[in-house]
Amino acid sequence: MRAGFGIEKRSTTSWLWQAATGILLLPLLALHLIANHFVVAGGERNFAEVAACMGNPAIVVLEVLFLVVVTSHAMLGLRSILFDMGVPTRWRPALGRGVAILGVLTVAYGIWLTITIIR
Amino acid sequence: MKVAEEAAPGLRRPSRWLDLRGRHEGAWAYALNRLTAIGLIAYLYVHLGVLSLLAHGPSTWNSFLATTKAPFFTALDAVVLLGVLFHSLNGIRVVLTGVGVAVRWHRLLFRSLMALAAILFLVAGLLWSIRG
Repeated sequence: MRAGFGIEKRSTTSWLWQAATGILLLPLLALHLIANHFVVAGGERNFAEVAACMGNPAIVVLEVLFLVVVTSHAMLGLRSILFDMGVPTRWRPALGRGVAILGVLTVAYGIWLTITIIR
Repeated sequence: MKVAEEAAPGLRRPSRWLDLRGRHEGAWAYALNRLTAIGLIAYLYVHLGVLSLLAHGPSTWNSFLATTKAPFFTALDAVVLLGVLFHSLNGIRVVLTGVGVAVRWHRLLFRSLMALAAILFLVAGLLWSIRG
């Protein structure tokens, strides 16, 4: 069977969240790449430059928002891929919770790291 | 509520996502979207792992930075950028066609967005080389 475009009718909550986080990611990722890599000599900031940059509350808010949105998008995508691989229906709720916990841990780790760098 | 799936008919298992014989652009886009998604999720954790070096202080981070000047890391950055450009621009197509916009022009939309990805990749490479 041939798979074509235009057959992707999505109306579920998960798909809408994935789409919303994906759209939000476009400006957030562009800002992240430009601010942290493209305008920085050598592409990476040294430790003092990172500390100075993270001293700006606006940057911290943007980076944490980026982390939350990118992790949400990644976890929704991971769940979708895992389900699509043929995971039995009875395992899906547990798998969904596992992926959600992984996402929460990822965001928590990122926030801890941000606080550590600021200090 | 039914869980959302990206499945295109006949493409449920990974081995079948990658079997693109006789399939057209829709299947290529689907397979590449999945592959770049998996790659970018892996990269998210690699990136967090690398950033954790910041918690070890200036000497650890600054000595790590010196190693990233190697061509291998530049090549890796280029692969990640390609993945990001494909995934994000193809994602725009998926969202638009998913909500019923531009469904009739999906092939043109896909080709235009991939052309834009190629242009953005070249511009990024140019900026990278100018900045040094």
